[in-house]
Amino acid sequence: MEQPNPIIHQPVRLKIMSALKVLPPNDAIEFVRLKAIVAATEGNLGAHITTLEEAGYVAVEKDFVGKRPRTRIALTKQGRRAFEDYVAYLRDIIDAEPKAAQ
Amino acid sequence: MSLSPQEAASTLSDVERAARRSGQAYGYRRASPHLIVWGLIWVVGYATTDLRPDYANIIWPALTLLGVALSIYVGRCAGATDSGRYRSIWRIMALVLLAFVFIGATYAIMRHVSGPQQGAFVPLLVGTIYAGMGLWLGARFVVTGLAVIVLTLGGYFFLQEHFLLWQAVVGGGALILAGLWLRTV
Repeated sequence: MEQPNPIIHQPVRLKIMSALKVLPPNDAIEFVRLKAIVAATEGNLGAHITTLEEAGYVAVEKDFVGKRPRTRIALTKQGRRAFEDYVAYLRDIIDAEPKAAQ
Repeated sequence: MSLSPQEAASTLSDVERAARRSGQAYGYRRASPHLIVWGLIWVVGYATTDLRPDYANIIWPALTLLGVALSIYVGRCAGATDSGRYRSIWRIMALVLLAFVFIGATYAIMRHVSGPQQGAFVPLLVGTIYAGMGLWLGARFVVTGLAVIVLTLGGYFFLQEHFLLWQAVVGGGALILAGLWLRTV
């Protein structure tokens, strides 16, 4: 990867992906908790989640707990792979620095 | 657009920070129902022991089994994956068994342990474990553990006549409140 993945590279989306990556596979996080972790406004977070969902990186599940609506977000396999590639890309750049300096 | 090594390092640091916060929140979320369950067990256990101390040897094993069953249930409800669920059930059971062995062995070594001493020992152990876990898992566990220790010592030294009742209301209540507090992240 010569260029950073533009979908993940955006700061808020990067935080979203990082927060989801630590969850066990098939586990999801509630929208309100993700909002607190990412420290984004509701509208902003919703827009970025939609972008990630359209890219196939996250899955959004909506249901009800009693009468209260609940939105849960999980990383997809494709999203996990894309995020790992993105982190590997960052590490490659950092690791390449001493070699370039020599 | 390609990144400089400094930009890459800074971005990686953002990734790690967000992952750490999320991991901590996840740990709090998973622990919360367990704290509430064991808080309720303490409320019932200490209150009934205060009323009928002669039944303590029956009450506590029964309540411990109930607590384990409820812990397994809330763990399943928390939505762990099948493999994670299976591992977590065995871990809970192994942890309870270890705790029983340790507490039994300690009482056997110390001998002539009074009721209030027994009633204080387990909460002190639990508080220490929570505070120790918190060094890795997050400050809220440290606060919870220290609160349990301080409240237990306070009740033991200053309210010994009503110590079991104190543990029911304040000790159990503290665990329940801590469980609710962990849910707020």
